[in-house]
Amino acid sequence: MAAADIVISAEHVSKWYGQVIGLNDVILNVPRGITGLLGPNGAGKSTLMKLVTGQLKPSKGILKVLGEPIWQNAPIFSRIGFCPEQDAFYERMTGLEWVTALVSLNGLGEAASQEMAARAIETVGLSDVAGKRIGAYSKGMRQRIKLAQAIAHDPELLILDEPLSGMDPLVRRRIIRLIKDWGRAGKSILVSSHILHEIESMTPNIVLINQGRILAEGNVHQIRDLIDEHPHTVYVKADDTRELARRFLADDHVLSLKFEEGAVVVQTGRPDVFYARLTELAASSELGTIHEVTSPDDNLQAVFQYLVKS
Amino acid sequence: MNGRPAFFASALRVFDFSLGQMLWSRRSVFLALLVGAPVLLAVVVRIFAAAGWLPIVNGTQVGGPALFGVLMWLLFVRFVVPVLGVFYGTSLMADEVDDKTITYLFTRPVPRASVLLGKYLSYLACVVLLLLPSIVIIYFLVVPIGGSIGQGFPQLAADLGMVAVGVAAYGAVFAFVGAWLKRPLIVGLVFAFGWEQTVLLIPGYLKRLTVVYYLQALVPHAMPQESALSLLMTAFQDLPPVWVSLLCLAGIVMLALWLGGWAVENREYVLEQ
Repeated sequence: MAAADIVISAEHVSKWYGQVIGLNDVILNVPRGITGLLGPNGAGKSTLMKLVTGQLKPSKGILKVLGEPIWQNAPIFSRIGFCPEQDAFYERMTGLEWVTALVSLNGLGEAASQEMAARAIETVGLSDVAGKRIGAYSKGMRQRIKLAQAIAHDPELLILDEPLSGMDPLVRRRIIRLIKDWGRAGKSILVSSHILHEIESMTPNIVLINQGRILAEGNVHQIRDLIDEHPHTVYVKADDTRELARRFLADDHVLSLKFEEGAVVVQTGRPDVFYARLTELAASSELGTIHEVTSPDDNLQAVFQYLVKS
Repeated sequence: MNGRPAFFASALRVFDFSLGQMLWSRRSVFLALLVGAPVLLAVVVRIFAAAGWLPIVNGTQVGGPALFGVLMWLLFVRFVVPVLGVFYGTSLMADEVDDKTITYLFTRPVPRASVLLGKYLSYLACVVLLLLPSIVIIYFLVVPIGGSIGQGFPQLAADLGMVAVGVAAYGAVFAFVGAWLKRPLIVGLVFAFGWEQTVLLIPGYLKRLTVVYYLQALVPHAMPQESALSLLMTAFQDLPPVWVSLLCLAGIVMLALWLGGWAVENREYVLEQ
């Protein structure tokens, strides 16, 4: 791979937190386009994300982003947009105020910052609530406003840490489409997730990480088959969970169902079919609103355990 | 579109949006108490004065100007200003880390040190704007008790300036402590109420390593000589000239901010998962 085609390169990068190893001797070249970083919680995804966004300094090795070292390199952030995993905001600010304030740190004037912020907010579909306090946003809206601040200054590299977490199926579909559009528009995107199905719907180019090590990278179609052998659990929070469960029961791919407070937890053998069906139901609005869809990482953990053993 | 703002422009932008956050932060309740309690105390003094219950020293009643001076010396210089410095200064970076919002500031093309400077400026504006009016209110409540408001105005102006300088100096020192250490509050409290208070009572040069030594030189009031406090105050009589104090305090502010900026630039802030 030519150096110009690499947006992130790690040469024997390790990161220790005292006695704990976060990343262990990682060698990685992330090419232009969309790359998915896949691994269960505690795999080292967050550490890698923090390293490639210059929040942490490698204990060992060389890490370059867009051809330059990232640690203590503030100017490079005019070319990078970052959507962090944590649900943290200045809650009293409105969405527009918050994104405007952050965009203005890119050296833009008030008017230009506000214009770019408004455009980004429109892109993620939050224009109607841009004047509302972030504290009053739903989880999905909060995820989207985080995305807006990442894209507002039109960066060439987007780093998205679990960007679809907590979004309802329709918004999830919209954001996946957006990410693919950005990729097609020539932007490079590194997107992390613990859900293979999510990553697969954006890109075939995947980096697998577990226990601080890169297990594999490239076009990993075999993982697709593995995931089918392991039941995938999905937590769906909706207005009418009983009716939702009734519809799912008719589907072959649904292995089990259980109710939790305001939600139904579904185990499926075919996550792609399940998510498509869920999106259809959400789009039809027959069963009221589907508020939140999340998936615990134990699905992927099982696959990874299988991979490590084999 | 992808420019990079200069250091001070970045600091001003951070100042811009930090000021509102600071005013509405959880520490505002604490600030309101610290600013409001002396005003309440002044109201009580005024009520007692109206009833003719004022302290008598050497057979004469203590007047309002002297009481105001004592309030400035003991309440503001020795307590309120250092406490505000400790609680706000140490939290400038710590709050962003605890709230996990620091990521948004550190992944922008601005020097990290400018984030600290911007937040320090917002602390300064927030505290000074709330503290100085409270002193003015206390002045109008206490000084008329046997004193003249008009005559005391130059002293009031000096008091306000002194408090502003104190807020700046303590804020800068504790901003550095907060940027440098993981658990800065304990260290800040030990410095302000252990080191500073103790060293001031020890004869010699050690007191020059405190902020309060220079700050006291700016207090325009003479301490009441025959009061119970006079013994304690004799220890403070070795004071530098005003211009030396101002110069040293300016040096402390610049050095502390520079060190704080250096710490922020070089430190990894690991957010709790």
